Order: sequence, then structure tokens, then C-alpha cells
Amino acid sequence: MSRSLSSFALATVFALSLSGCAATTPESNTGSETVDEAQSLVLYSGRAEDLVQPIIDQFTAETGIEVEVRYAGTAELAAQILEEGESSPADAYLAQDAGALGAIANAGLFQQIPADLFDLVNPSFSGADNLWVGLSGRVRVLNYNPEKVTELPKSVLELAEPKWQGRIAIAPANASFQSFVTAMRITEGEEVTRTWLEGIKRNGVVFEKNSAILEAVETGQVDAGLINHYYWFARGAEVGAENMTSKLAAFEPRDVGNLINVAGLGILKDTGATRALVEFLLSETAQRYFVEQTFEYPVITGLEAVEGLSPMGDLPAPDIDLSDLDTLEQTLELIRAAGLI
Amino acid sequence: MRKPPVSLTLLGVFAALATLTPLVYLLIRLGSGYEKAVEELARPRTLELLANTGALVITVTASATVLGFAQAWFVTRSNIRFATVFAVLAALPLAIPSYVLAFSFQALFPAFSGFFASWLVLTIATSPYVFLAASAALAQVDPANEEVARSLGLSAGQVISKVTWPQVRPSVTAAALLVVLYTLGEFGAVALLRFDTFTRALYNAYRSSFDRSAAAAIALVLVVLTLLVLWLESRYRGGFTQTKSAVRVIRVDLGRSKTLAEILLSVVAVVAVGLPMLSLVVWAFRGSSTADFDRILDALAGSFSLALIAGVVILIFGLAIALWVTRYQSRLSRIVERSVWVTHALPALVVGLALVFFGSNITPWWYQTLWLLVFGYLILFLPNAIAALSTPLAQVPKSLEDVSQSLGLTRTKTIFKVVLPMAAPGVLAGFALVVLTVLKELPLTLLLRPTETNTLATRLWGATEELAYAEAAPYALLLVLLAGIPALALNLIARRSLREVQNG
Repeated sequence: MSRSLSSFALATVFALSLSGCAATTPESNTGSETVDEAQSLVLYSGRAEDLVQPIIDQFTAETGIEVEVRYAGTAELAAQILEEGESSPADAYLAQDAGALGAIANAGLFQQIPADLFDLVNPSFSGADNLWVGLSGRVRVLNYNPEKVTELPKSVLELAEPKWQGRIAIAPANASFQSFVTAMRITEGEEVTRTWLEGIKRNGVVFEKNSAILEAVETGQVDAGLINHYYWFARGAEVGAENMTSKLAAFEPRDVGNLINVAGLGILKDTGATRALVEFLLSETAQRYFVEQTFEYPVITGLEAVEGLSPMGDLPAPDIDLSDLDTLEQTLELIRAAGLI
Repeated sequence: MRKPPVSLTLLGVFAALATLTPLVYLLIRLGSGYEKAVEELARPRTLELLANTGALVITVTASATVLGFAQAWFVTRSNIRFATVFAVLAALPLAIPSYVLAFSFQALFPAFSGFFASWLVLTIATSPYVFLAASAALAQVDPANEEVARSLGLSAGQVISKVTWPQVRPSVTAAALLVVLYTLGEFGAVALLRFDTFTRALYNAYRSSFDRSAAAAIALVLVVLTLLVLWLESRYRGGFTQTKSAVRVIRVDLGRSKTLAEILLSVVAVVAVGLPMLSLVVWAFRGSSTADFDRILDALAGSFSLALIAGVVILIFGLAIALWVTRYQSRLSRIVERSVWVTHALPALVVGLALVFFGSNITPWWYQTLWLLVFGYLILFLPNAIAALSTPLAQVPKSLEDVSQSLGLTRTKTIFKVVLPMAAPGVLAGFALVVLTVLKELPLTLLLRPTETNTLATRLWGATEELAYAEAAPYALLLVLLAGIPALALNLIARRSLREVQNG
């Protein structure tokens, strides 16, 4: 009697552990894929669900391919993919930071994107060797409250000065900020960047996300903040641009504070499904979504940015090749060394 | 010596070993990334974190102990009016998860952040533990000593410090150490309030560095601190004088201070419970027009399905160990019980990190699945289940089991046919308590949730990252109404039956 019950207990225990195997979808570790895997894919997205899910849903509606999306921070997902290595469940990785994409590319985990798709995009918006492709452009801006900030800073480097104490909002855990710091390391050097980060640690008010910074500047909680341009335009479209308290400003021409960056995509497995995803996201439908719904810059030719946005070519951006922004790990260490995260 | 059925022993030992494994792996991981870990800990930032964490732990423990004891004394020993109402109000903050508390204050005062904010929120969140321990202790201590002291001429204050306090000190100190452990491992509230303690640094290190040895190093510091506190706690355990005689309640006449005391207690209740609930209701109302009901329902479904599955798994192991400990007490059972309690005391974030390492490297087929998360819940909440189940199981008379076995039933059959049915109401309550505790959990779920699984807690977290208070409020309100309040009610009922068991 007790023997049968103890074997029942044993069976339960083993069943529970084995069912863990059944609960996961089996993933192949090789580069190319078999036909029955083509109907679904797993996407790791460093961009927020509110911004990305609508266009992913449209992709599923058009192609019938189911997409399971894991939303988290760009750097966190990059670290996760690096930790998972070849056995990562991810089929594709959408990141807000060229540096994160570069890190995965350098680890040899990306598959090459087919040339016909890769060539749709201006090479200055994509990574080297066809390993990742830009999807939409964004520019870093200073979001400020005109009642509190009467004299605009000429360079982003000024924000580390004592007069900005407690007045500037930053999101050091956000990938766009991390990209910008990488760009500063390239244009200004490690020492200047380190000093600036220490100053910003004294002056800055830390938030988790760009959207939180916009909210804080709008409600007067903080005088100014460093964000991506499209958050302001999206809010402006919602409430009316004339009803916005805060404004946007650029720094002087070629200042690193005006960095143009891209959100980009790399594929970890070369399958019909991932190719279809790349193709869709570079199609006019998706690019029009990025222009009209999220107020970013398109990366394919033939589409104009929304009214109110300066054309990309006219932006006073610094001269940086995005594929040089691939040293995210060192940037993270600098940011952490400054005690910002 | 009664021998337990093999099945109980197997389940118990499996649970104990399994809960220790991920932590062993954390140490292994640390060993291989040793230099990085040392480099991480040698930074001046670590001192800053130590100072912050230390300051928070010390101040919160002090204020929670003072507040909890004061409330307990007023409610049990003084002649204030509406003592029962104040007693309920004092325990009520337990119904609000600490991160919901932090969110509700921040929604009212957006600039509410930093050290003071964290101190306030955590004091509110933890003083109920001290209050419950102190009022239980005060109710069991014979007030005759205090009467004698007063008749000998000591003032009210001297009576408290020289007579009352020494008698309740052991249980209040035990509760205070609980507060220390809680504050040490607290993540949600301090992260929302943007105060840098070790847990927040751990989370940031986890998601903002490629080489996670830095995260492992911070985790190790937290483990060491926790073990230190546990060791201190084991030295204080036990040793309270318990009278089994019926205790007359003697209430001190506060005279003119009575109204002052009532006002004070009311102010505390308003700040600790009234303001947060008001904030949640107002913001939920504001968010009701734009609420995404599909998303809310999906989060609700996610929360409940996870909690129910975890509840069943934890119940099976919890029953096994509780049965083993209450009926077949042996050296092995004590070892198993101890080890399960140690891992329970660790911060949830540390357990989560250990499981992330363990899952992605050792058991990739388990990683990111529901079952690894459930396993994490098992590590964290098995002791809660054991504690909740021990009382109803202990109340089943052993004589009935003897009769059953003398009639020919085996030990296992006796458990299923006699013990469990009799203990059923208590067992069900214990199950419900575990389910509700899992519902409220945040940090472990954040780290280990399967792709596309969302819970009320994770959705709340995501919304607060964007300062979207109106979007966050419905989740917060649901957490309080569906998880917090029922859990508190069950907790109070369990405490009452525990006292009944202890008093014979």
C-alpha cells in the first residue's frame, strides 16, 4: 500500500520536472530552419509594447505568422541573449541602441540579412556586414520648460555644470541614453565622458524611461530632460501641440547631444519567418506606421517625415557612423562607475 | 519513534535539496567570475549602497518597533475608546503590498521619492508585524505585575519601561528582526521611490551589464547580510513567559491624554491606510475612461493562473513537510524545516537571479518556462505554507490516528482518510493564503516570467516606469482588493487559531 503511494509521489515529482520540457517549444540551434518552424517566431523587443505591438499585430494579420514578443530593456535583452548564447529562444532582436545590436553582432550570434532587404536602407543607418538593419530614425533633443529655462545650453556638456543641479532629467537605464554616451565616448573621449557622467550624477534627476521624463517636464516636476524627439510629437498629436507646456531644442550644430540614432533589427535565425519580418518592417506599410503613428524618421527612401519635423538631412547632428557605436559594454561600465545605475 | 511514510520523506528531502541548489549555483557562478566580483565590490559605490541600506534598515526598524509597540500598548492596555477599530486599522497596512503603497503616495505627490519617502512607506508597511506580535504578547502577559508596580508608586512610563517591556521584549524583538529582513530584501517600493539600496543596485546590475558577475557579487552581499540577521534571530528565539491562566484585562486610565492618544492613532491610520486607498480610488477613477480592459483581464488571468498552479505545487510539498514535522518529528525533519526557512529569508531578487543563472546555464529546457517561476515561488513561500498548515494539522487528535491504525489502515491511508479530511478547512485556508501571497509577488515574477505572461504586479510596474498613474491604478486597486484584504483576513484568523492551539 505505502509502496504504491510512495511511487505515486515519486511519479508526481518526476512528472512535474519533465512537464517543464513539454511546456517549452523545442528550438533548433542551427542557423537555417525546417519548414514547420516557419509559422511562428520569437522576438525580443527593447522597444515598448505600446509602440511595437500594433505593427507586429499588423504583420501577423498580413502574413499569418504568429509572433511571441518578449518586452524588456534593450541592454537587459542583449545581456540575456549573450547569456543564452546559441540556445537562445529568440529568433530576432529589436533594439533601441546600435550599441546593443553591435554587441550581439560581435558575439557572432546574428545571421546575415539577405542583401536585397539590407540594401533597402541607407548603409549609415545599419550595421556592418549585413548583420543588423536600421528600422526607424530618432534624434536626441533637449525637452525643456520655457518658463524655467530661459537660457538654452549650447552644448550637452554644459549640463554637468553646477547651475544645472537638480534641473535636468535623465534615464540612464534607457538604451537611447546609453547610445548617446557611447557617441560621446567616440567624439569627446573617455575622460571627458567620465567627468561629464560624474557631473550629471550630481545634477540629474533619474527616471526609468523617456516618457516619464516628458511627463515630469510637462508637469513642472523638473526643468528639462534629455529624450528622443518622437515622445514630444506623439504627445503633441494627442493633446494638441499648442497645449504642450514644454518645448524641444537642439544643441549647437554637430554637438553630440544632437545624436541621430536608429532602432534596429537583427535576426538570430535565418528562416522564412524572420525574413518575412525584416521585409515587412522595411515595407512602406511599416515605415509609414513609424512615420505617422510613432513620429520617427523613416529609413527607406520615398517617404517624408511628419510635418513639424526637420528633414533628417537638415538636422545639426554629429558625424558618427552608427556601426562604431558597438562598445555598449564599456559604456555600461562607465555609467555604472559613475553611480548612475 | 514513529516513522513517516516514505512518500513524505521523499517529498520533504526533495524540497529541501531543490531549494538549495540554485543558491549553490550562484556561489559557483561567483567563483568563476571572482575578479569581476571583487572589482565590483571594491567600488566606492558599494560603500554608498551599504550606508543607504544600513540607514534605511536601522531607521525603519526603530520607527516600526516604536510605532507598532505604541499602537499595541494603547489598544490592549489603555482605556481609549474604539480599541477594536484601532486594532483592525493598525493591522490593515498589511493588506497593501509595499510597492502599491509606494505607488499610491507617488501618485498623490509626484516628487515623493528618496530616503524619507522610503523610510515612511516601509515603516507603514512593517509596523503591523510589530503591532501584531506586541499585542499578542501583551495579551498573554499577566498584568498583575504592572498593577503591583503601579501600587508601589512607579509612574505610567516607568511601568512600561521596567515591567511591561521586558516581558514582551522577546517577541517584539523577533518581530523587529523580521522587519530587518523585510527591509533588507525590499525591492518594489525602494525602486519606485528611486532610493539606491542593495536590492535596487542588484536589479540595475542585472539589467545593465553584460557580465553578470557584478550582479552576483551584490547578491552575495545581500545573502551574507541576510544570514547574519538570521543568526541573530536564532539567538533571540523563544524565551517568552507565557501564562496559560485566563488573563484579566486591566486598562490604564489615560485621563485627559485619552483624546490625544485617539487623535494620534487616527492620524496614523489616515496616513497609513486612508491616503493610499484614496489615491488608488481617485486614480483608478481617472483611468477608467482610457483603461485597456483586455489588458487588465489578461493580467488578472495571468496572475491567477500562476498563483493557482504555484499554490497546488506548494500545497503538496507543504503538506508533506508539515505532516512530517507535526506527526513524525525527527532530526531529519528538523534539518529539512530549517533549510527551507533559510532560503525563504533571502531577498526574492537574489533567488530570482540565482534561478536565472541556473535556468539559462544548467537547465535551458526549463528556462523562461512557467515551471521555473513556480519553482521560484516554492523556494520563497514553502515556509509560509508549512506554517499555515502546521496548526490545522496539529489540531487533529493523534488518538484518532492510533485508532485508525489499530483498525488496520496504513499510515498513508490514515493521512488521506482521517487526518486530511479533519484538517480540511484549515488546509484550504492555508492553500488560499499561499495563492494570495503569490498573487502579490513582484521581483521574482519580473525576472522569471515566461514571454507574454503578465501579472497585475508586472503590469503595475511597467506603468509606473512611465509615470502613467492612471493606467497603473486599476492594477494596484485590484491587487489590494483581490489579494491584500483576503490575505490579511486569513492571516488574522490563522493567528487566532494558533493562539488557541498554544493555550492548550
